[in-house]
Amino acid sequence: MRTVMKTFLTLALCLALAAPALAETIKIGGLIDLSGPTSAVGRPYAEGLRAAAEYINAHGGVSGRQIEFLLQDTAYNPQQGLALYKKFATVDKVVAVQGFGTAVTEALVRFVAQDEIPNFSASYSAHLTDAAKAPYNFVIAADYSTQARAALKYFKDNWKESRAPRLALLYPNAPYGLAPIPAIKAYAKELGFELVGEENVDLKAIDATTQLLALKGKNPDYTWIGGTTPSTAVIMKDAKKLGMKTTFFVDIWGADESLVQLAGDAAEGAVSLQAAAVYGQDVPGMKAILEQTKNQPQMTHFIRGFASMMVMVEGMRQTLAKGPLTGKTLKETLETLRDYDPQGLTPKISFLPGDHRPNMSVFLYKIQNGKLTFLSAQTLERKAEWLGL
Amino acid sequence: MHGKCGLFFSSYAAEARFFQSGFQRTCLGLFVLLLVAAPLLVGPYLLSVLNIICIAVIGAVSLNLLTGVCGQISLGHGAFMGVGAYGAAICTLRGVPFPLALLAGGAAASLAGMVFGVPSLRLKGIYLAIATLAAQLILEYVFLHAGGITGGSNGLLLDPPTIFGFSCNTDARMFYLLLVCAALSLLVVANLLRTRHGRAFVAIRDFHLSAEIAGVNLFAYKLMAFGVSAFLAGVAGGLWAHYTQFVSPEQFGISQSISCLAMIIIGGLGSVLGSVFGAVFLTLLPEGLNLVAGTLSAWFPDISAQLVALREGVFGLTLVLFLIFEPEGLAHRWKLVRAYWKLYPFAH
Repeated sequence: MRTVMKTFLTLALCLALAAPALAETIKIGGLIDLSGPTSAVGRPYAEGLRAAAEYINAHGGVSGRQIEFLLQDTAYNPQQGLALYKKFATVDKVVAVQGFGTAVTEALVRFVAQDEIPNFSASYSAHLTDAAKAPYNFVIAADYSTQARAALKYFKDNWKESRAPRLALLYPNAPYGLAPIPAIKAYAKELGFELVGEENVDLKAIDATTQLLALKGKNPDYTWIGGTTPSTAVIMKDAKKLGMKTTFFVDIWGADESLVQLAGDAAEGAVSLQAAAVYGQDVPGMKAILEQTKNQPQMTHFIRGFASMMVMVEGMRQTLAKGPLTGKTLKETLETLRDYDPQGLTPKISFLPGDHRPNMSVFLYKIQNGKLTFLSAQTLERKAEWLGL
Repeated sequence: MHGKCGLFFSSYAAEARFFQSGFQRTCLGLFVLLLVAAPLLVGPYLLSVLNIICIAVIGAVSLNLLTGVCGQISLGHGAFMGVGAYGAAICTLRGVPFPLALLAGGAAASLAGMVFGVPSLRLKGIYLAIATLAAQLILEYVFLHAGGITGGSNGLLLDPPTIFGFSCNTDARMFYLLLVCAALSLLVVANLLRTRHGRAFVAIRDFHLSAEIAGVNLFAYKLMAFGVSAFLAGVAGGLWAHYTQFVSPEQFGISQSISCLAMIIIGGLGSVLGSVFGAVFLTLLPEGLNLVAGTLSAWFPDISAQLVALREGVFGLTLVLFLIFEPEGLAHRWKLVRAYWKLYPFAH
C-alpha cells in the first residue's frame, strides 16, 4: 500500500512540476483573411507568420519558450473577427494577436485596448498608428499615407526638368483607397507637384478607359494607383492600350508579384511601394526564409508576415529578459524598441509611447522584366503633425 | 384533473393571444429564465456569439416586417442599419445619453427608410429591389464622404453604452441590454402584426389591388412599413456600433443587406419566429464551420485551408438547399415538428 501511495505521490509531483513546464508555450492568436475578398494577399501573409513561428520554435523559441500560433480565418468580416477574437481573449488567453485586414482590425481597436492584448496587423491606416486612439495596435510597415509621401519625395528628388512634375491620382471610392488621398494632395503641393487630375477606379473594375482618357490629355508624369492587384492590372493594361506615358506608382497591396502575371508587359516600369524585401533579395534575413520555404518563391506579403512575427517575438524576448510576459508588459517593451533591424527584411523599426509609426520608410521597387527590382529605400522625417493622418 | 382537448376560444382577444396554452407559456418562461442565466452558464466566447445573435435578430425581424410581411423587397437594409449606427454614434459622441441616442439613430434610419421607400408606390418586385440597392449605394457614399460628421474612411470610435450611469462595458452587461432590445423588437413586430396595420401589410403583400379596393391606403402603409422596418434596423445598427465601439462604412455594405435577406429566407418569410431562427442559424454557421475545421485539422493538418475556401460555397449552398427543400424556412419546419409531437404517438 505504501509503495502505491508513494508512486501516486511521485506521479502527482511529477505532473505538478511538468504542468507549468508544458504551459510555458506563448500563445499568439492569428486573425487573418484566409477567405473572402482579401484572401489572395491574406494567405501568403498568414503563411509568412506561420513560417516565422516554426522557424523561431525550431531555433530555440522565445527565450526557451515555444510559440503556439493559433491561426483563424476572419473572411474580412468584422462579426466573425470579433467572435474569434473573444475566443482568443477569454478561452485561449493569448498574449498577443497577429491581425490582418482593416475591417476586423478597426472593429477590435477598443477591445484590444481594454483587454491589453497587442494587435499586430497588416492594416496600415494612418489613424491606427496614433497610440492615443489605438494604444494596443502595432504595425511593422509605414502607413499608407507615409508610404505615398515617401514615394513623392523620391520622385521629386530625382526630378531633372525645370517645370513642376505633373501628378494624377487614381483610387477606388472605398475607405482603403480614400485614406491616403488628403495626405498625398497636401504633400504634393508642399513639394511643388502640379496635381492635374484625379479619377475613381473601382476595386472590381473591369475597364478603366473612361477614367484614363480623361487623364491622358493632361499628360501626368506620375500617376498614383491606389487599389488591389486586379484593379491595378486593369488600369495598366488600359493605359498601355491608350498609349499613356506616365510612371505609375502603386500602393503596397496594388503591385506585388501577382501584378506581373495579371498585367504582363503593361506593368513594366511601374513603381511598387513596399515595406518588406522581395523573395531572394540580398539581405541577411533572407537566409532564414530560404531555409524555411525550401527555396519555393513567396510573395513579399509572406516576407512581411515573417517580419511581423519577428518584431513581435523580439518584443517578447526583451520583455522576458525584464520580467513576466503579459500583453501589457509586451506593449510597454515594444514602446522602448529603437531601430530594431529585422535583418534587413523591413526598414528599421521603432515604436514610441504615443506614436506607433514603425518607421517613416518605404522600399521602392521597379517592375523590370517581370520582376520587382529594388530601386531605393526612402526615409522621411518623423513629423509629429503627420501622426495619424 | 381533466385538461381541455384542443383549444377553443370564446373571444377574439383570446384567439389573438401569443401563447395560448399553459404549456407554451411554461416553456417560454423557462427559455427566458435560461437566457437570463446565460452569462452564468456559458463562457465568454459563447456569450459574445449570443450578443451578435441578439443584434442579428433585430436586423432580421425588421427586414422580415418589410419584406416578409409587407412584400417590399429591400436591398438597402445594411445601409439603414448604418444610418442608425452613425446617428446613434454621432449623438453619443456629442453627449446625448445612450437610450436617447439609440432612438435618435432609429429615427434617422426611419427617415432614410421612408425617403428611399417613396419609389415603392410605383415600383414593384425586382424594380423596387434595384431602387433600394441604389439607396444602399448612395448611403454608403454618404458615410464615406461626409467626413466631417461620419469620420470618413477612419470611422468613429465610441465608448461602451452607459445607461443612467451604468456602463455596459462587459459582454455580460451588454448581453442583458441586447437581450432586452431584441425582445422588445420582437414584441413590437409581433404586436404590430396583430393590429389593423399588420393586416393591411399582409393585404398589400398578397395583392396590392385587392388591398386598395378594401380601403388600404397603399402609399401610407408602404411608407409605414419602410419607416418601422428602418427604425428597427437603425436600432440594430446603433447597438452594433456601441457593442464594437466602432463605426466604419465597411460594416454596413451590401453584404450586410444580403445577409439580412438570407436570414429571413432561411428562417421563414413573414414569420417573427422565423427571423429568430434565421438570425441564429446564419450567425452560428461560420462558427460551426470554424469548429469543424478546427476539429478536423487535428487529424488532417491541411484540411483547414481547404475548408476555409469552401466556406463561401457552403453559405451559398445552404441558401440554395433551403430554397429548394424548405422554401418556407425553418419556422415551417418548427411547425411540423410541433404538430408531430402534439399528436405523438397517435399521429393520424
